[in-house]
Order: sequence, then C-alpha cells, then structure tokens
Amino acid sequence: MSDHHVPVFRRAIIALNGGPSDARIVRLVADMARGSKAELVAVHVVEIDWTLPLDADIAGQSEDVQRILDMAEQVAEESKLILEPVLLQARDVGAAIVDESTERGADLLVVGLPYRKRFGGEFALGRTIPYILQNAPCAVWVVRDPIAEEKP
Amino acid sequence: MIGGRRPIQGRKPGDRRVRVERPHAPYFRYTGPGQLVAKQAASLPTTPAGRAWARVQAAVFGRPLMQEEELGERLPKTKALPIFSSDAISSSAYASDEIIHVLILAGLAALTLSIQISIAIALLLTVVSISYRQVCRAYPSGGGAYAVARENISQTAGLVAAAALFIDYVMTVSVSTASAVSQAYSVVPGLYGIRVELALIAITLITIANLRGLRESGNIFAIPTYMFVGLALLMIGLGLSRIVMGTVVPIPTPPDVILPPSPTEAVTILLLLKAFAGGSVALTGVEAIANGVPAFKPPESKNAANTMSIMAVLLGVIFIGIAIVGVAFGFQPTNEGGPTAIAQVATAIFGAETPLFVLFQASTALILFLAVNTSFNAFPRLAAILAADGFMPRQFSFRGDRLAFNWGVVVLAVVAATLIVIFQGDVHLLIPLYSVGVFVCFTLSQIGMVRHWFVARGPGWRWRAIVNAIGGLLTFIVLIVVASVKFGGGAWLVVVLIPIQVSIFLFINRQYRASAAQLSIKPDFVVPEPHREERVVVPVPGLSRAVVQAINVGRSISEDIRAVFITEDPEAAEQLRERWQRQVPHVQLVVVESPYRALAGPLLAYLDVLDSAWPPDKPAPITFVVIPEYVARNWWERILYNQSSKRMKTVLLGRPQTVVVNVPYRREDPAQFESAERGYDRLHPPSGSAPPPSGQPPLD
Repeated sequence: MSDHHVPVFRRAIIALNGGPSDARIVRLVADMARGSKAELVAVHVVEIDWTLPLDADIAGQSEDVQRILDMAEQVAEESKLILEPVLLQARDVGAAIVDESTERGADLLVVGLPYRKRFGGEFALGRTIPYILQNAPCAVWVVRDPIAEEKP
Repeated sequence: MIGGRRPIQGRKPGDRRVRVERPHAPYFRYTGPGQLVAKQAASLPTTPAGRAWARVQAAVFGRPLMQEEELGERLPKTKALPIFSSDAISSSAYASDEIIHVLILAGLAALTLSIQISIAIALLLTVVSISYRQVCRAYPSGGGAYAVARENISQTAGLVAAAALFIDYVMTVSVSTASAVSQAYSVVPGLYGIRVELALIAITLITIANLRGLRESGNIFAIPTYMFVGLALLMIGLGLSRIVMGTVVPIPTPPDVILPPSPTEAVTILLLLKAFAGGSVALTGVEAIANGVPAFKPPESKNAANTMSIMAVLLGVIFIGIAIVGVAFGFQPTNEGGPTAIAQVATAIFGAETPLFVLFQASTALILFLAVNTSFNAFPRLAAILAADGFMPRQFSFRGDRLAFNWGVVVLAVVAATLIVIFQGDVHLLIPLYSVGVFVCFTLSQIGMVRHWFVARGPGWRWRAIVNAIGGLLTFIVLIVVASVKFGGGAWLVVVLIPIQVSIFLFINRQYRASAAQLSIKPDFVVPEPHREERVVVPVPGLSRAVVQAINVGRSISEDIRAVFITEDPEAAEQLRERWQRQVPHVQLVVVESPYRALAGPLLAYLDVLDSAWPPDKPAPITFVVIPEYVARNWWERILYNQSSKRMKTVLLGRPQTVVVNVPYRREDPAQFESAERGYDRLHPPSGSAPPPSGQPPLD
C-alpha cells in the first residue's frame, strides 16, 4: 500500500527543450511538488558545435534561450513555488542534463518528448532521451506531447 | 569564470559543460523579443533608508501586488454588497431623522406621515435602482452617470455629473463619519467633546484600509455591514410582530427632544416636499455600484446589476420598516447629541442598555463609518476614469502598490477631513450640502440612458427607455425640490462648486490636448539621422576630480567643448588658468569675471553670446551644459554641496536647444582616479614634466 504523505520526489530537475511541452511539464511537476515543497530546478542546455569554443558567448546573448527559463520560472511562481533556472552550454545535451542532476542529487528528472516522426513516418525518440534513460541515476519521467492530428 | 560563463567538469572528459550566468534574472523576465517584464526586485529600494521605509509600507499597507493579481482583487457579490452598498444602506440610519425633523413643525400627529413619505422615497429608489441596473449592463467599464451623460448628452453634461458626484462622495465621507461619531456619543455622551478628533482618526483608519486594496477592505467591512442588516431586519420584524399582537410599549420621551412649535404649521404640500427632500438622502450612494462595475468578478455587469437589486431591496425594507415601527412606538426628533430615530426604535424593541441594543448601536455606528468606504471606492475610480479621459491630472489613474488608486483615496480623505474640521463634525450643518449632487447625477444619467436606448435600439429598448424616462422625470422633480428647499441652507454652495469644478476639468483637458498636439508625431514620419551639431559647455568651480569627470563626459559628447569659470576674483582665475593649461591642455578654459558676484546670469549671457556667434546659415547647435556634481552621502552633505549647480539647473530649465547633463562624482570613484593617476605616474616619472599624450584624458 502506498503512503500518500511521502512525497514522490524532493528535488526534481526539469529538462526544457524550448518546445511547446515545456510549460506543460513545468506545470505538471509544480502541481505534484506543491504539497511536498520539493525543490525544482529547470535546466536548459544549449548544444555548442565543435567548431566553437565551449564557453563561446552563445546562450547569454540569446533572448529566446533566456525566455525558456523565464517562462518556467513564471509557471512555477503561479503555483507559489520557487524554481531555480539553470542555463548550460555543452557539447552533448543528454550528458549535461545527467551530470547536472547527478551533481545536484536530484531524485527525479523530467524530460519532455515532442511527438516527431522521421521522414519514413516512424516515431523518433531522438538521442538525448535514450541517453538520459540509460545514464540518469534517478527516476526519469518522460512526458510525451499529444499526437498532433494528421492534416488531410 | 569567463564573462559570466563558469566551466564545470563532467563525468567523462568530453562532457564538460559551462554554466551561463543570467544577470537579468533577479530583476527581469523575458516575455517576447526585446520585451522584458520587471520583477518585484527591480522596484525595491536600494538604500537602507528606502528599504526601511518599504518595510514600514509593507507592514501598514501590505505587500505590493502585481498587475496580474488585479483579477484576484475583484469582488464577489458577497463582498461587493458591503463595499458598494454600505453608503446607501447606512443612510437609513439618519434619513428618518431628516423626515421627522421637518414633520415635527406640524405637530406630533404629523410624524405619522413619515410612513407615506418613506414609501414615496422607496418608490423613487425602485425606479432609480432599475435604471441603474440598466446602466450597469450598458456601461460595463464603469463611470456611471459621467460615462452615460458624456456619451449620450454632451461632454459638459458628463463633467457636470462627475463634479456633482465628487461633491457627493466628499460629503458622504464627512456626513457618514460625523454621523457615526454621533451614534457613538448617543451611547457615551462623554465622547461629544472629542468628536472631531474621533472623526479624523476614523478617516485615517479607513484611508489606510483602502490603500491596502479592494479585497482586503471588503474583508474588513463585510461583517459589520451584515451585522447591521441582520439586526435591523430583526428589530423591524420584532417591532412588526408587536404591532400585530398589540403589545406596543411607547418609547419614553427622549432627552433633547425637539418639541413642536406653538402654534404648529399646517401640513402643506411644501412641508411634505421639505420632508421628502430631507429623507431623499436615503438615495445617496445608490449610483456607486454603477461607477464601480469593473471591480466586480466576471460577469461584471450581471453581478453589479444583481448587487444593485439586493441593495435596493434591503434599503427599501429597512427604511420603510423603521418608519412603520418608529411611528407605532412614537419616535420623536431630537437635538444634536440626543438619541437618533433608529436608536429610539432600537431602545423600544431591544430595551435600553441591553446587549442587543449596544450591539445594534455599535453596528449602526460601524455601518455609518463604513458608508465612507463606498465613497473611498467610487471616488478614486471615477477620478481615474476622468484622468484617463484627460480631465484630471494623470496621477489619479495610476494604481499604487496594492492596485488601489492612491491619489484618489488620499485626496478624498484630505478634503473630507478638512470639511469635518471646518464644520466641527456637526451632521445637520453638513447635510444641506448633501444629496443635491446625487440628484443631478440621477437626472443626467436617466436622460442619457433614454437617448442611449433610442440610439442602440436593442431588444426591449422601448420599455427600457420608458423606465429611464420615468426615472429621469422623477429625479428631476426631486432635484428641483431638494435644491430649492436646501438652497438657503447651504445647497447654493453645490451650485457654485459644480461650475468651478467643470471649469477646472476643461482647463486640464485643454492643457493635455495642447501638449499632446505639440508632442504628436505624424504616423508616416520616419525619424531621420540627426544633423544638428553639438557643443559642450562645462561650468567649473575650479579643478577637481568631479570637474575632470564632467570634462571627460563632455568630450564623449562633442569635440567642441569649453570649460567656463565664473569668478569675481581675477587672481583665482589666473591661478586656475595656469593649472588648467598644464593639466587639461586639450580643453579650452573661458574665464568670465563677474564683479557683481552673480553666477547664473553671466553663464546664461555667455550661452546667449555663443548662440549669437553661431553662423546664421547653419542650424542652431544643441548646447550640452555638463554640470559636475558631488554626490552627497547624507542629508547634511546635501546642504553643504551642489547649491550652485542647483541654481544653474534652475535657470537653464526650458532654455531653447539646451540640454543639461549632471555628472555625479560618487564616493566610489576615487579608486578609479587613483589607479589612473598611478598609471600616469608610471608612464611619466616626476623628472619628466611632459604633458600626457595627445588625445588621452589626463585623468579618468
């Protein structure tokens, strides 16, 4: 029998990809965290091409990138929760998310998965989520977007 | 850390990552391309004194609210009723007194006519409230009579309505506060001596409550209003049951009773009209709901209209009920300081000095006090609408930290408190000024609504127009009666004040329109590159770090720069010139000797001379007057420094093609100077006295 008073998580990392599912997953985690006052950390990773130095001034200059984290912070505030926004630059998004959650001792990692199809018409998982599922030391929730209706 | 980017090792060598600092995050939030929203931290004061003051403000008025929280501040009907109806409902506490004060002139027997007069007033209330229900639906953005009259009759008619309403709201605050205090000294006669002080304390408290915001003031005021309504209905119910059962015990003659004159007057139409006019104060405050429709929770219009109906029913029942029970139990008018009509009825029903009587008196005093709150909600909203339309200073439309219209709240409190002091808190002296304005509004809004229905022609427009037409006619008749009956008693002042206010509104509007016309840019105008030349003048009091900083700022604006030293001492001028040429060789120093010791005059004259020396075939340049200033660390330093620069700024204000630039020298700046000086010393050892390299500032 499950104990409803035990919080599902104490520190959650929410990986944001800048897509439409970001607000949904932040709201979902915030709703679940409200009762337990769990710590929320939103992470957005900007992938840096090997042609550029890792500390190139890319993410800091982009308003779009800042907006992703600001939106997450705002959604959490609406639920009266504090969310720590973290902006990273890395060569590999999956590794950066896993390392960040390991360092912070997170017990939950939430990632959004947009419903995308390859050109052949097959659903594509990408490479970041399989990496996270394989390497993250904590629980991982993958929240998939609803399937968009096919256009006739 | 490199430029806000901190490298972090990953688990594997290739997994390094960089954490990017987000300096905007504590203060701003990006919401769109090039669009930032300021967070609360951006508005927080930075000085210790400012932070301390902010803490005091938060303790007294509450934490600042975000604009988005406005919807949360909206009122449900249960809270809107006490806020917007306490004025109307509370007037039942003194309207009966106003009727019997007149009827007593025709003898004690004439007091029974107060029932018929109360019924007539209740009928008028019915018509007016039905009409205002329609105003709520037709004008969901609020504004009541002002909005209706302005849109459907004329701008001036709207402003007349607004002016009349303003007078009424101020009067409501003064009359209700004075009346609440009078209820208090009905129970504790010793308070009579400090009635003005009590009234001022009451106004201060209600001002603070309203500055805390709408919803909170609703929380504070709901309980006393419902307590009054409940106890008044209980009192009337008990009274009616005793009348039916035949167990009426007449009220003992109260102290300070007003005896009928000898001989008594005949019951004439004029006497009845006077009594009707006196009792019509019961209708004041009815319009407040129509003014404050946007304060309701959605659907705003429907909720406001329903609240209006509930309020009208409650007021009508209590008003007629007090008259019936009062007549049956034999209430009588009393002089100032004696028990009021409602207090006499409460004594008869609940028994003198019983807990219920004391509770009822307390709730009566409280609701009279809370009636003030209706004005505190309606006045600032109306002022904000007028300010948004350009008829009042714009400050009235700005919301404060708690989303209240602070300017309106404070101005209302100050004016009402002034009236209380002038009239020494006497209700009967204040009431003649009252209720004329409200009938001006009723009439204008009804006429406006008739026109509205004829133009809009929506479903059922005919019967709606008929209701408004009847309302307009009735309220106009009452206006004539009230104005003529009360004219000599002080209502003339309202007749004088309305045109004065309207003139002020129009004057302000003219000013705003003129400035808007001067500042407007044609929609198809594309701003070209600036083509005017710039020159810089730096008035200097000597050579100091502050002056050097100002000179360097000036040099970043234009190469055409000169320092001006105005002095009465030629010797000091010579010393400065020698030093200046050595230390600031790239900037021309102009010495203006001022044997009459004036500072600002010679500076202005020098600027005029520069202007006249400019080639007439070229457009006049923009002159930047760069003024060095030492930033004072505390209040006494403010007295010691920058007096001359303040004078210069004052005289330069508004000078054509002149921009004044203040360059503050802060206490943090010496470190920069000292490092620059050390750098200069290293490059130029003391043995070499060569000037600094060309193009480089000597100190920075």
